Order: sequence, then C-alpha cells, then structure tokens
Amino acid sequence: MVPKDFLSHYGRQFGTLIGLLVLMLVLWILTPHFFTVPNLLNVAQQTSINAIIAVGMTFVIITAGIDLSVGSIVAFSGVVLASVLQAGLPVPLAIAVGLGVGLLSGLVNGLLITYGRLPPFISTLGMMSVARGAALLYSQGRPISGFSESFRLLATGETFHIPNPVIIMVLVYAAAHFVLTRTKLGRYTYAIGGNEEAASLSGVNVRLYKAMVYGLSGLLSGLGAIILTARLNSAQPIAGVMYELDAIAATVIGGTSLMGGEGRIVGTLIGAFIMGVLRNGLNLLGVSSFVQQTVIGSVIIMAVLIDMALKKQRT
Amino acid sequence: MKKFSLIILLVAGASFLAVTGCQRGNNQAAAGPTIALVMKTLNNPFFIDMQLGAEAAAKALQVNLVVQAAEREVDVEKQMQIIENLIQRKVQAICITPSGSREIVPAIVKANRAGIPVLILDTRVDEVALAEAGGQVATFIGSDNFEGGRIAGEYIVNRLGGLGKVAILEGIPGHETGDARLGGFRQAIENSPGIEIIASQTANWERDQGYNVFQNILQSHPEVQALFACNDMMALGAIEAIAAAGKTGEIIVVGFDAVADGREAIGRGTMDGSIVQHPFEMGKLAVEQAYQLINGQSSPAYIPVNIELITKENLN
Repeated sequence: MVPKDFLSHYGRQFGTLIGLLVLMLVLWILTPHFFTVPNLLNVAQQTSINAIIAVGMTFVIITAGIDLSVGSIVAFSGVVLASVLQAGLPVPLAIAVGLGVGLLSGLVNGLLITYGRLPPFISTLGMMSVARGAALLYSQGRPISGFSESFRLLATGETFHIPNPVIIMVLVYAAAHFVLTRTKLGRYTYAIGGNEEAASLSGVNVRLYKAMVYGLSGLLSGLGAIILTARLNSAQPIAGVMYELDAIAATVIGGTSLMGGEGRIVGTLIGAFIMGVLRNGLNLLGVSSFVQQTVIGSVIIMAVLIDMALKKQRT
Repeated sequence: MKKFSLIILLVAGASFLAVTGCQRGNNQAAAGPTIALVMKTLNNPFFIDMQLGAEAAAKALQVNLVVQAAEREVDVEKQMQIIENLIQRKVQAICITPSGSREIVPAIVKANRAGIPVLILDTRVDEVALAEAGGQVATFIGSDNFEGGRIAGEYIVNRLGGLGKVAILEGIPGHETGDARLGGFRQAIENSPGIEIIASQTANWERDQGYNVFQNILQSHPEVQALFACNDMMALGAIEAIAAAGKTGEIIVVGFDAVADGREAIGRGTMDGSIVQHPFEMGKLAVEQAYQLINGQSSPAYIPVNIELITKENLN
C-alpha cells in the first residue's frame, strides 16, 4: 500500500524528475547512441563522483551553509591516499587514510564555523585555498600514478554487471536518505537550517551537529577522491577544480533551498543526473565546446526557475 | 572566543614568518643580477621541468633566479600582477611563458618602459597586438606547436595507412598553444583525404574530463580508430576509458608533452606516442639569454627548441 503522505513527500521532486525525463527523451530522439545500456551505465559512472560529493553539500546547504572546499579536499585526500598506497599500505588502510584526510579537513571547517564563529562562506573559502596548497606541497606539484589492480577495482570493477562507483553512489544515497529522514542528525540538520536560534533554544547541540555536517561533507569528498584516483589510476594536485560548483548546482537543481531548512536527498541525485546526462548528451551530439558551457549554464538556471514556479503553484 | 582568535592569529603569524623566512634563504644565495621567470603555473610537470632547467643555468652563471606563477594556467590577470610586482622589485630581466598571447602585451609594455628586457618562452605573443601597443620582446625561445601537431597527424595517417576514422580531444578553446597543435594536426589530416575526423571535443586539458569525454565519444563512434589529444593529461584519461571499454590496443592514441606518466604509458603500450618538447632546455636557454642581455650582448629574435615524436622505439 502506498503511504498516505507519499505524494506530498515526494511531490517536490516531480518538477526536476520531469525535467530529467524530458531531457532524456530529447536525447533519445536526437541520437541513437544515448538510450543504450552501456551508455546509461557510463552516464551513471560519470555522475557518481559529483553525486557523492553533492550529498555532503546537500546536508551543508540544508543547514543554510555552503562548502566551497570540497574540490580542494578531493585533491588533497587524493594525493595523500596515492602516496600511502605507493608506500605499500594495504588497500583498506589506505582507503581509511583517504577518508580520514577528508573527514579531518571537513571537521576543521566545522570547528572554524562553530567555535571560530566564521561564516561558512569564509571558512570554506579559506579551506579551499589551504587544502589546494597542501595538495600541491605534499605532491610537489606532480601527479602520483600507478596503483595495484586490487585498489583500482573500486572504480574499474563491476558487481552484478553494474560499475562499482555506481553501486557506491547508490549505497551512499540510501544511507543519506535514511540519516536525513530517520535520525536525530537528519532532523537537527533541518532544524538548524530552519531557525538556528530556535533549534539551540530547544536544546539542540548546534555546534556539535553543524561540525558533524561539515565533517560529513569532507568525508564524502574523501570518498570521491578514492573513486577518482582509482578510475584515473592517478592522483593529481590540480584535480577537483570547480567540483564545488558542480555539487552546488546538483543540490540546487534538486530543489534544496540555499536559504536552508528544506531539501531532499533524492532531488540532489536527480540534479546530479541532469548535469551528467547533459554533458554526456552534448558529447554524443558532437556539440562545439563553445556552445556546451552556455547550454549547461542555461539548463541550471531554467531548472531552478521551473522548480520555483512549481513550488509556488503548490502552496 | 577571544582566546580562540588569538591562538589562530598567533599560529597564522608564526607560519607566515616560517614560510617567508625559508623563501628568503633560498632567494639570496648569490650576489649577481636577478632574473625572473614567470610561468603559467607551477603545478604542471612541463613547467616544473622548465624551472629545473632555469635553476641549473642560474646556478652555473651565479645569478639569482626568482620563479613565480599563477595558481591556474589560464589566469592571465594574476600573471600580469606578478610581472608588475617584479618590475617594482627591479629585476634585471623577465622571462615569461604567457598565459594569454594578447593579454600579456600590456605587461610587456610596462617592463619595456622600466627598461627591463623581456624574453618569451613556450607560447608566442600575438605580434600584431604587440606592435600596436609598441611593445618589444628581446627573444622568443620555444617549439613550434603547429609543427608538433602536424607531426602527430602524419604519424596517425601513416599508422592507419591513409584510411580511417580519427577523434580529437581539444584543450581549452581559445588557447594559443592548443589551437596551434590542433591546426597542425588538422592540416596533416586534410592532406590525406582517406582520413575522416569524426569527433573533435574539448576536455579542457584535464585527465578526468579526458576520461569522460572519450568514453562518450566511444559510445557515439565505436568505430573510432585513432585519437589525438592536445596534451598527455587528456590522453591518459582517454586510455583509461579505452581500457574500461576493453579496447586497449585497438585504438591508436597520441598525446602531447610526453610527461612522465605519458612515457610510462607508451612503455606499457597503452599509448602509442607523444610529441615531446624540451622544457628543461627552454628554461636553461632563457636564463642564459637573459644573462647575455643583461651584459649588453644581443640575442637572436627566435631560438627554436627541438620538437619530436616519441614512440616505444625511441622512448629513451
């Protein structure tokens, strides 16, 4: 039986979901190469890294914050991970190191924002530069390449014919959906974004939960770095430039409000897929490089405009 | 909260002192003239090699060398600021790898006014714009990227026996270096009517985009037989996409720059060739020429640096 509140709960996502389906339909008509199983799996794979980072971004934006440092954290976690792998650390430990670097960088953001009382924009802007510099310093500006097959399987392997990055992405979304809808952390994330003072007055440990949210964003950037490094067989200190903007775009297209307090994790997944499908489609169609960027930007703006119009209609 | 800010301030101050202290130690090694090398970026292996060459020459000639660069390769404005600061610092010569062929002209004119000779490396300055602004460049040291693209094109034409389908991964649109490589490659292809360019897309010089874009090209054009990537980073991304599609060895891949990872891929056979320039040589020549100019000697308007194709046969 369908729960009574199913429609109102998922209604918000209909606008963006319809947008995604229309986009796919158009591409299906325009090119025979789009709607094939291998291509759709490619799109899912190409979307996975941005989609995973965007999960952390969604939590952050729901608290009415922003995290500009995710791209740099991807680079920093990546080069540290790559160096410990090459030093011969076992794969599970190396993965823990990669995740740990991401988590710590995120927690530093969290501490600066809560105990340092810096606006999120400023502290993560600083971290963006610090982590990028750290990645360059650590790697001496050079890419670190060549890893064991067992590590690379994380990105190049398949489970039940589905590429592993796609499976990781699905697991992350399932977990994030659970956390956001069923746990204290999720409820408090909305509460803090809705009205931080009210949340604090009603006994929510705002500092703790905010720090956790930025830690989560860093952790997922570390996970993104692991997949990226395994996929390319190389970690680069200049990797991840502009990833923050892709993650913010996916989140916002997915209906999360930059003002905080509202948003759904499923929406972010749809948002990430809109961007992934668009990039894939423009390549398949052979659209010139000059036109591509304009099209992507216009779609972001249009998606948010339509979403806002639909929301107004419903209320 | 005050305590917290104070601690932060102290830590920041101490680390700033530590860092600047180290820099000073490095820069004031010799008592000779100071030559500046301004590069596009310090995080690309190509420019790191150029820096090493310049440092070797500076050490041999006992001159001070200041190396600076913007963080991002296309940040012309930042490069201009660096040059302005160097003019204020009164260095005796400035060697520049321009981030933009036209955009760099005002900075060159400023150096000219201050009486500081300007040497250009790697990327040519737009000569019309330079002449219009009344600027002057002492010498250009670099390889001909157009020629490099042409060599890559001829190699692919030969490997395909004059008949086949080719894809291109372009650099950032509007970049002089990338446009020249592309132009040279296209010219070589146009001369052989049996070769068809079936896709030409940008991957913005980057490895992860090289992977995605070529994966997409493989979907729309599974019949593709050869790929020319305007730099090795994009080629290296593409060979991973080829491996993921189980097509390693079926598609000829030629990159540009012959970076360390690229050479390794050629050795393994996952990549077929790369066009090599000699950035170490460029950096070394630049400092040597700057030293001559400071000592009142002249230098030739163009010093060509060798450009060639490396494959598995001549890898070492």
